[in-house]
Amino acid sequence: MSAAVARRSGSYMPQAVGIGSLVAFFLGMELLVQTGLVNRFIVPPPSEIIGSFGRVIVEEHVFSRFLQTLTECLTAGVMLTVFGVAGGVLMNRFKLLQQACETWVAAMASAPIVLMYPLFMVIFGRSAWTIIMMGFVSALPPVILKTIEGISGTRKVLINVGRSFNLTPSQQFWKILFPAALPTIFVGIRLGLIFALINVVGVEFLINYGGLGQLINDLAERYDLAGTYAAICFVILVSVLFFIVLEKVERWLRPID
Amino acid sequence: MASPNQSSNAILTADHINVRFETAEGPVIAVDDVSFDVRPGEFLSVIGPSGCGKSTLFNVIGGLLTSHQGTVTVGGETIDGPHQSIGMVFQEESTFPWRTVTDNVAFPLELIGMAKDKRIERAKHFIGMVGLNGFENRYPGELSGGMRQRVSLARTLASEPKILLMDEPFAALDEQTRLLLGDKVLQIQQQLKQTTLLITHNITEAVQMSDRILVMTYRPGKVKRIVDIDLPRPRTSEIVGSEAFGRYVAQIWSDLREEASRGMRDEEQHAMNEGASS
Amino acid sequence: MAATDRLTGVTHPASVLSPATLLRAAIILGVLAIWEFLSHSGWLYRDVVPSLLAIGHALFDLLSHGEYYFNLGVTAAEVGFALLVGGGAGVVVGIVLGANRFLSKAFEPYLYYLGPTPKIIFFPIMIMYFGVGPESKVALGTLSCFFPVALSVAAGMRQIDQVLIRVGHSFRANTWQMVTKIYLPAMRHPIINGVRLGLGVALIGVLLAETKLSNKGIGYLIIQAYSIFDMPRMYAMLIVLFVLAIGANALVGRLGGLHAIKRT
Repeated sequence: MSAAVARRSGSYMPQAVGIGSLVAFFLGMELLVQTGLVNRFIVPPPSEIIGSFGRVIVEEHVFSRFLQTLTECLTAGVMLTVFGVAGGVLMNRFKLLQQACETWVAAMASAPIVLMYPLFMVIFGRSAWTIIMMGFVSALPPVILKTIEGISGTRKVLINVGRSFNLTPSQQFWKILFPAALPTIFVGIRLGLIFALINVVGVEFLINYGGLGQLINDLAERYDLAGTYAAICFVILVSVLFFIVLEKVERWLRPID
Repeated sequence: MASPNQSSNAILTADHINVRFETAEGPVIAVDDVSFDVRPGEFLSVIGPSGCGKSTLFNVIGGLLTSHQGTVTVGGETIDGPHQSIGMVFQEESTFPWRTVTDNVAFPLELIGMAKDKRIERAKHFIGMVGLNGFENRYPGELSGGMRQRVSLARTLASEPKILLMDEPFAALDEQTRLLLGDKVLQIQQQLKQTTLLITHNITEAVQMSDRILVMTYRPGKVKRIVDIDLPRPRTSEIVGSEAFGRYVAQIWSDLREEASRGMRDEEQHAMNEGASS
Repeated sequence: MAATDRLTGVTHPASVLSPATLLRAAIILGVLAIWEFLSHSGWLYRDVVPSLLAIGHALFDLLSHGEYYFNLGVTAAEVGFALLVGGGAGVVVGIVLGANRFLSKAFEPYLYYLGPTPKIIFFPIMIMYFGVGPESKVALGTLSCFFPVALSVAAGMRQIDQVLIRVGHSFRANTWQMVTKIYLPAMRHPIINGVRLGLGVALIGVLLAETKLSNKGIGYLIIQAYSIFDMPRMYAMLIVLFVLAIGANALVGRLGGLHAIKRT
């Protein structure tokens, strides 16, 4: 929702109500905890959580952890873009392969792939590669499926234009099918990247190795309650920012749709 | 019954074209023994009611449909695939949304390996011809439907085809835009002496633009009549109001009305059968 | 499945041996062959790729003892409750947000942007609230599936043909009637899809929580097998898990589809 739209519709009221409710919620929690109505050993007062931000950032090297998580995520991202799009293109090119395997890929998309992390730990050890491979494998299906969808969904008339100019199959693919499919392919890559981030952070938490995910685990095991909440906030912040950036990039890449 | 008139200086000849489709309800004859020719530089329209097989004919001549009987010859060569002398303009939106107007129009030039600056220059020429100067760097998404059809037209013209083959290119546009675009097409055709074959269901459009009109029957599509349009050239949309124009329209309408009615009755019968069987 | 060629009208007899099926069989056999080869080659650390026989044994072992079914029941119950509470809340919130533009603009962005975050990181908090028992797993599953269901239902609400809503109002239907007789029936597809998605993430949330800290459930069994390096058993469990998860997903989808056929 852009500022321009809000201005045009005459008010920032909804957003104000939204933010206001959030603030009211925090103030309410603060009150409840300070008066003892909510156990402060389960929920630290928001003020204490905010207070611990500074400490956590510095002492726990949040920035370098963030970079670690980001690197893992981007590595998985590059892998799933390359293999996902290539896989989708191959399946589209060899119709038999598509007929045989597309339902398998679709089934994998709904399967709890991340549950294989103990298996990956056996293979790759408690290391960054387990995390990266988990992110890669669990995010692969949507990229493949969207790539297939994009290419096979090309409007018939555009294919006919290509045929009317007697394009070779290779030209037909590179000049018509692939460019026409790019918007959908980007949707797939965006979905893949989001899955990758979720799984990267999740596995970091579970195997207690890596960047931000491990931080939360550490702080929780140390019973640093306020710190744990603060770290969770960081992860949410990173996640939301990542999502927003991806949306912006996708919009920028599709000025023509 | 039409007289095929297969004169020796025809640029395109359709000879006994027969197209059959297998459908769930049995075989359907879309085009039944259609023969005609197209003379160099002429504007020939093929008109008929929905279901008369004219789009099928478009696909046969364009080489996109090869499972037919009979032959189509261009300059002595038989067509068995899209022929380089024939340029096609489709009915639906066919501009490439990811390319600018210039890149769209330059597409055929890119295919033959023309150098970049030469391509852009040639493309500009055709963009100007369809009246889209100033829009060279825009994307189709920023243009109106009529403008996009002009881009498609410019793209096909850029390949400098001997024969321009168009399938109801203005069907999706409103009447006024259609008339004005019709003017544009006429202008271009007269300027380039472009042989043009137009498939349409619009009588006004056909009479406005054509030298001859081929009227088709409802399925199975046969040639009902070929009408010579003896209106003076150069023509503009102003001619639409004239008396002679009116007479031609009336004549063609009386032919078409019969066919269109048959078509409607057929559809009603079909719907009734569907209802009865479910 | 018999196939009728549209252009020639020739009907090919039903063939189990269609090219696609053959290719699938070939791929499966190929993978199994490579697997078995790797297993005996000694290239990989022992038991990372156990022999197919060992996996088969473990599978049989797993499925013939009550212990597995007990744990399966625990996990299934946790997922079921999570879906009930989280999904239910999601439907309610989705309807409210979908029906009211103002509320939607005020609060839906939060759901939209918080949705794609890893919920497992909330697990320490869940443990603090709910203890180490099944409740904390249910809580995590609830949190996981709330978001996709709510967003799906809200979007579905907005896609309802406005005319149907006007019809309801014109007959002076009250809110409950509007919801049960118009909104919900009109939204069966977005709801079913939201539930499918919710089921998937609730399952993942519950299982991951079980692997982290639990003494019951499938997740617990998996991590236990890992800790004693019983790889055949782990593979067996993963296989069964995937089969069940994919099956459940297909079942929900089929139920949604059947629903639609009856109506049209």
